[in-house]
Amino acid sequence: MPDFRSEIRARLASLGLSPARELEIADELTQHLEDEYEHALSRGVSEDEAERAVLADLNVPDSLDRELKRVERPVPPNPVAMGTQRRSNMIGDLGQDVRYGLRMLAKNPAFTAIAVLALALGIGANSAIFSVVNAILLRPLPYKNPKQLVMVWENATHLGFPKDTPSPANFLDWRQQTTVFEGMAAFTERSFNLTGVGEPERLDGRRVSSNLFDLLGVRPIIGRTFVPQEDQPGTKVVLLNESLWKRRFGGDPSVIGRVLTLNNEAYTVVGVLPHSVRLPAFVNWRDQVWVPIAFSAEEAAGRGNHFLEVIARLKPGPTLQQARAEMETIAARLALQYPEYNTRRGSVVSPLHEEIVGNMKPALLILLGAVAFVLLIACANVANLLLARAAVRQKEIALRLALGADRARLTKQLLVESVMLSLLGGVVGLGFAYAGLRVLTRFIPPDIAHADTIAIDGKVLAFTLLIALVTGLIFGLAPASQASHFNLSETLKEGGRDSGAGARGKRLRSSLVIAEVAVSVVLLIGAGLLINSFMHLSNLDPGFRADHLLALSVNLSEVKYPDTARRTAFFDEVVRRVQPLPGVQSVAVAGNLPFTYNGDSMSIAVEGIPDPPPDQWPDVIYRAIGPGYFRTMGIPLVRGREFNDGDTLDTTRGVVIGEKTAKHYWPNEDPIGKRLKPGATTSNTPWRTVIGVVKDVRQNDFIAEPKMQMYFSYKQVEQLVANALIVRTSVDPLGLAMPVRNAIWSVDKDQPVANIDSMENIVAGAVARQRFSMLLLAIFAGLALVLAAVGIYGVMSYTVAQQTREIGIRIALGAKRGDVLKMTVKQAIKLVGLGLVIGLPSAFILTRVMSTLLFGISATDPITFLGISLVVLVVALLASYIPALRATKVDPMIALRAQ
Amino acid sequence: MTSPGLDRELKKGSAELLILSLVEDRPRHGYDIGQLIELRSRGALRFNVASLYPLLYRLEKRGWIRGRWVEKAGQRRRRYYRLTPAGKKVLASQRDGWLEFVKAIGRITGIQYA
Repeated sequence: MPDFRSEIRARLASLGLSPARELEIADELTQHLEDEYEHALSRGVSEDEAERAVLADLNVPDSLDRELKRVERPVPPNPVAMGTQRRSNMIGDLGQDVRYGLRMLAKNPAFTAIAVLALALGIGANSAIFSVVNAILLRPLPYKNPKQLVMVWENATHLGFPKDTPSPANFLDWRQQTTVFEGMAAFTERSFNLTGVGEPERLDGRRVSSNLFDLLGVRPIIGRTFVPQEDQPGTKVVLLNESLWKRRFGGDPSVIGRVLTLNNEAYTVVGVLPHSVRLPAFVNWRDQVWVPIAFSAEEAAGRGNHFLEVIARLKPGPTLQQARAEMETIAARLALQYPEYNTRRGSVVSPLHEEIVGNMKPALLILLGAVAFVLLIACANVANLLLARAAVRQKEIALRLALGADRARLTKQLLVESVMLSLLGGVVGLGFAYAGLRVLTRFIPPDIAHADTIAIDGKVLAFTLLIALVTGLIFGLAPASQASHFNLSETLKEGGRDSGAGARGKRLRSSLVIAEVAVSVVLLIGAGLLINSFMHLSNLDPGFRADHLLALSVNLSEVKYPDTARRTAFFDEVVRRVQPLPGVQSVAVAGNLPFTYNGDSMSIAVEGIPDPPPDQWPDVIYRAIGPGYFRTMGIPLVRGREFNDGDTLDTTRGVVIGEKTAKHYWPNEDPIGKRLKPGATTSNTPWRTVIGVVKDVRQNDFIAEPKMQMYFSYKQVEQLVANALIVRTSVDPLGLAMPVRNAIWSVDKDQPVANIDSMENIVAGAVARQRFSMLLLAIFAGLALVLAAVGIYGVMSYTVAQQTREIGIRIALGAKRGDVLKMTVKQAIKLVGLGLVIGLPSAFILTRVMSTLLFGISATDPITFLGISLVVLVVALLASYIPALRATKVDPMIALRAQ
Repeated sequence: MTSPGLDRELKKGSAELLILSLVEDRPRHGYDIGQLIELRSRGALRFNVASLYPLLYRLEKRGWIRGRWVEKAGQRRRRYYRLTPAGKKVLASQRDGWLEFVKAIGRITGIQYA
């Protein structure tokens, strides 16, 4: 048999087929020729003749290789998007596109890494902030039909309390008269000393209406909630929080019926509530126990004593507006009935969810907006990268178009590539978000509700997937649309010269940089304003010296220490034992401390001044203190003296007032020696003599201005109790925590000591939210600036690279290096300038939404606007300087030869 | 018919129809197809290797026929082509088209078929 195979292979060689395919064709054709040869032989033809006939068949006019060339493709460099005739197959094409995209991404690892990193930063920031928003704003409260729940307040705006805590008598009247609510329940904070089981402990707790938990729809884990009969004075039953139950009682169900000693009284445990129950709180108050509110007869009659918080559940029918209208009617009726207490007192009804999370809403939404901006900038960067690469891929695209790939398919392919990039970015971004959240949650102020539930859950995953997809489409659209507008003949005419995809591409890239600059300007100005307000806040004087100050809560049991004499004896002994401890400079006893509690307030009568009408009677904040308080706190004494050990129940009752109080009542006189008393002139409380004037102290935060204030000695007022100890130290205050606590326990081993902290930490806690929002926004703005700088750098480098030839010619014709530098930088300045022109007015409009977060600075602060513009300009100049410098180093000979 | 392109298309079109028809009822290998065309046209039509196989590959690439190596006992390994469902549709429409074409030619030229 003649060797037909080598004949055939010789003819296939020029086709450049894949080896496997070549072998297959050779096999098949060889067989055919051999069949023909045998057939000829079988007809009696000679071997030579048969061979010649068969080979002649191979060498007919349409030669084999020419015919095959029409059908068989050489080893395909791009198996995708050739103009196939078959109808497109969505799934099959997608698989093909994805495989092709993966290959392209793997082929350019540096490009892929940069793009994925930029996207991951943007997407990760979004996922992280969305996790926070999801946990705090979006998740419904853990109660039955939470949308029906509202809080009801008294409106005493005329006294400076737009949401005043209702008094018991008013609350009881509301509850009786209302028709729109299914139920109404009140509660108030109360702390308890748990003794008799291991270490004594102070527990946050509340007195609550017996119907509160049924109203909320909270089911006990074990036992029951309160029954109406238990809402009577003298009933000693208690509900435990799940966390306390597990921590102190090992989750033992037999705790039901057990008798606990709380504030030296015996309470019977009737149930355990899940720890998800969190009532609204002013301060970081974590309920561990609940007891029935059980108003005493005296309490229930009180209309001037405002200390309740009230939750109500709307009936299914009435709207919030109807509820508000009805409550206003009731309040107006009560104002007529009890003018001395209720004149001008209205009501406020607001959804519970808003009460709990509402104050976080603006900050969170602004942060969400900020991260969206960061993502937009990342998108612009990646789009620019893709555009630059599209210019490089022009030849590939031109070839595919020339070979008949249809534009829609090509666009789809490019989009698939960008979506794959963004999905990769999403995956890496989730990693960033996870890591970021672990750090973030450590900085979240503890008083933010539901912060402990922040996590990456299904919703966050879905959100991330969604933004990754949308992102991929957004930044993929520009290059893809450019590809579909691709002018084939032009590109081919240009002979494959890198023309930067023409003027269209350049315009696109320039507008992306302008957008990046504009968006970063908005973010940076937002962050700048927040940083400014934070600095304003931090630089404010709280009114005392917070450094080297240790604070401890020492809540005395009312049963064990029922009167002033016994309380004084206890604290005198504690002070006597703490004072000599090494490192202690001075020690003092106090009631509630500033920045832990607003302070209670009362109206006062001043000797010689007629009482004002009830609705114009100003409130004065009062605190109970002991001797040495001002010295220890570092509150400057302006006149007179502070309390000393000689001020007792048996001597003249004194009062120390703040400067504001002094100025209000005795604007032109020395207040020392003047007399005032709580309530009206006609009340039967004794007059108190002003013995000193001190500088005003801020109440609970830096935002509210100091109000009128005064101080009584806890030793001179039966009703006032001291519950805090402050120690000024010469060493790190927290280092004295143990010795001071031991000194207290040496006086009473059952006395709980809680909230041990340095005053510096406590004050920092007051600006924790501001610091938190500021920190995050600053981080995001910084990220935006870096991304924008990278974007500007990228575009300028690219432009310079494109202009190498032009620059070379200019230099060859005698242009100076400085001119070239100027020319290049000028282009950058033009882009940045346009970015500023768009960004500044946008910032002017957008920063208004954050005016509630700002303090001591206007949302349109010109210095911030100017400063940020300068920063952006400088950064942009730096980013364009390096490529510009490179442009001046262009060797004209090389540049001219380059293309 | 002065245009060589049209001439080629016509030839190619009819060749496609022939091959598709031959593999309609059962799979055949290339040599078999070539023999059948020659035999059934009584020698009037003949495909050489250089034109038959590129055509087969083209049809296969379009998904109208499908080739598969088959080894039968006592025989050599051969590549058998069979009609795909897509090919079946194409065959039906090419048959109709061819019939229309022949009829049209007939109407113009006055050639009548029995």
